Amino acid sequence: MASELRVNTLKDAAGNNSIATSFVANGSAKVWVNLNQDGTHSIRGSNNVSSISDEGAGATQTNFTSSTADANYALAGTSGDDGGNSGCWHTTGYNQNSYNTSNTTSSFHQQIYYATASVADSGFVYCTLHGDLA
Amino acid sequence: MASLLKVDSLTGVTTAGSISVTGEGGSTTTNLQQGLAKCWCDIAANPVAFRDSFGMSSSSDIAVGNYNVSFTNSFSNAYYAPAGNTSTAAFSTNAFTNRNDSAEKTTSLYEWSTSNGNNAYDLTFNTLTISGDLA
Repeated sequence: MASELRVNTLKDAAGNNSIATSFVANGSAKVWVNLNQDGTHSIRGSNNVSSISDEGAGATQTNFTSSTADANYALAGTSGDDGGNSGCWHTTGYNQNSYNTSNTTSSFHQQIYYATASVADSGFVYCTLHGDLA
Repeated sequence: MASLLKVDSLTGVTTAGSISVTGEGGSTTTNLQQGLAKCWCDIAANPVAFRDSFGMSSSSDIAVGNYNVSFTNSFSNAYYAPAGNTSTAAFSTNAFTNRNDSAEKTTSLYEWSTSNGNNAYDLTFNTLTISGDLA
């Protein structure tokens, strides 16, 4: 049977480790994605992701199932590759090919750089979003 | 009316591993289990050591600028999403990246590299958070 519990604070059974439910809602990642940019961009694992699209070399747009309240969320990402490139991979929060395409309540953009300056598709791209849902 | 729930464990009714939490705006919900960070750490390099952590059982120094952490609880698959950051007072252009072999990311272990100017370096301040599905 489905049920709904309305509560302001959670504690363990001993009455310790109190945490407001607002921290649970605010502190939970609203989106996370593990994707592969090699070839056709594809999702390996995700939460609250409806689809992704290839925006060019190293660039991916991630679309949300449930929208955020605003675009002032926090993105954190990591990237790397299993090919011959063993230098630095940088994850940035926008697509250099479309500077005017800002992040929105329904999607964000990220682009991967290899060796400080060259955009390149990466086999392993991860990103997490913290912020407010609509 | 303020309320307080004292409980040691939360489990979904319809699906044990799925509890919906209403979002901040009140119009959508998010999955509690999937949204929680499953492990995080603040870790020093050379010697590698946790300053603080959650869900991490051990760490190892593989080589200069290369490390791994083992998880207390395994993931259901290796398709989780790590996010890391690194810095040091000595350099301004540092990078936190995955190691380059996909085999080095498993359900129980994650490996990463830190570098400066494309050269592997042991950098002082490293933080890592991992989202994904637990087994």
